[in-house]
Amino acid sequence: MRFTIPIGPQHPALKEPISLRMTLEGEVIRDADIRLGYNHRGLEKLAESKTYLQNIYLTERICGICSHSHSTCFVQAAEQLLEVEPPRRGVYLRYLVAELERIHSHLLWLGVAGHEAGFDSFFMYTWRDREVVMDILERISGNRVHYAINTLGGVRRDIDEAQRQNILASLSVLRQRSEYYLKIGANEPTFVGRLAGVGYLSKEKAVALCAVGPTARASDISRDVRKDDPYGMYAEVPFEVCSAQSCDVLGRTVVRVKELMQSYNIIEFLLKNLPSGPVAVRSPRRAKPGETVARYEAPRGENIHYLKANGTDKPERLKVRAPTLGNYAATIEMLKSGFVADIPLIFAAIDPCICCAERVVTLVDSRNGEESVVPMSRLRAMAEERYRRAPVKKDAEWPL
Amino acid sequence: MNDAQIMERIKTLLAEKAGELTNPFPRRLYLKVEHPNLTAAMAVLKDSLGFVHVSTISGVDLGENFEILYHLANEYANLNVRTQIPKSNPHLESICGVIPGAVLYERELQDMFGIVVDHIPDGRRLVLPDDWPDGQYPLRKDWTYTRPEEKIPGGKTS
Repeated sequence: MRFTIPIGPQHPALKEPISLRMTLEGEVIRDADIRLGYNHRGLEKLAESKTYLQNIYLTERICGICSHSHSTCFVQAAEQLLEVEPPRRGVYLRYLVAELERIHSHLLWLGVAGHEAGFDSFFMYTWRDREVVMDILERISGNRVHYAINTLGGVRRDIDEAQRQNILASLSVLRQRSEYYLKIGANEPTFVGRLAGVGYLSKEKAVALCAVGPTARASDISRDVRKDDPYGMYAEVPFEVCSAQSCDVLGRTVVRVKELMQSYNIIEFLLKNLPSGPVAVRSPRRAKPGETVARYEAPRGENIHYLKANGTDKPERLKVRAPTLGNYAATIEMLKSGFVADIPLIFAAIDPCICCAERVVTLVDSRNGEESVVPMSRLRAMAEERYRRAPVKKDAEWPL
Repeated sequence: MNDAQIMERIKTLLAEKAGELTNPFPRRLYLKVEHPNLTAAMAVLKDSLGFVHVSTISGVDLGENFEILYHLANEYANLNVRTQIPKSNPHLESICGVIPGAVLYERELQDMFGIVVDHIPDGRRLVLPDDWPDGQYPLRKDWTYTRPEEKIPGGKTS
């Protein structure tokens, strides 16, 4: 007996909403198929009719969680074509916001992982702490989601000494809390048992399918654009690329927890070595004909923008590839031969978007075509029920 | 390996297959390859130089031709392999045999530019809706969006 379960496509917040069609045999996923485009906004076409300055705010709206990563990636490309060098203080502030965004995105993901694994108090804890970093971002930029801090030739706002001290104080709270999560992970065998061995993606497959970000790093590929292709001031900042060998959801969790610690170190370094001077310089409006590629390590992986100029104040072509698209091919591989109960967890593990969490799933019986609509919360309850009866993987250990 | 060494290796390995090779910014290399040599060149770049990761594929409408850019990456540099195909006969050879992860990007090219990718393992639509009219390719420069006339069900007919 084979079932086909369509997941999605209603999915309000991401650039790439997804419809996954799962073919099941009993409880085992035999095949997974993907359908995109439900929220395609024709942004690349639109960018051709906007000026470089307008495009900063356009690209910022590609994503609601890693908004800064897209606008920074675009600004990196545009500054190269406009031949403008941002001042050092501007660069430091730009990537300070970038690392804060990484922290907020990873804390958000940890909460989602806890929620999908049936560990809701973990979800409540991480999301409460996420408010701390959201407050820092609001204090720097005035906004919680679309920071709008980038401009051609630097950043739009400066920080003063009181703000600097305030961020450092908040950061020590966050660091303390993250260490507490490490302890929770280590002392909670059911949590570790639920994550271990789920969504296996071998190193060879991850390379062949061009996985990016924490998904690739959890399969033991130390691929991080900040290290391989250092942009901004990353060449002068000490940090480590975090990877894991277990190739499963547990590995992806470990990579993100380790990256949180690295981000705290980077932010401390940036704030302690913040250069003085202006935060922005004037930039020309027109770019000479040319082309460039900008790469950026977003919280979810490599983000790449290809920008071509034609001599006017508007780009000839802007190509955007968000990290989630790069991970879809790998997600299909992870889902294959997994259990239906693991779908929410595996899908959440690539960190597609928080708004995916409460979607509607239709169960289709392939023999009689009967459909029944099941909300994601019910699917999660089914998953929890199944694992309540399953023996806990006693040998699974928190690897940190 | 620095940029100059990579360029030297590309020239020796690809020999006459390598077209114009430039390095306008640090860690950014641009290589021109004729379309018939594309998959062979990709295989050499992947096996001998470690360009295993295709970040994405960009298409550019040049008027008479389409330019296709394959953004490859290894741990040292970003290599952009460009090739051109005529707009009147837009057939492109798939590179999925070399790098399987490129399939989604090739499907996007088919949707957006009307390029026919030969030997693609899965040639269905990716981003355009199922009821999208044939022959409409949004990222071609001559394509402009016209908003369809609004029809209100049960509303007045004017």
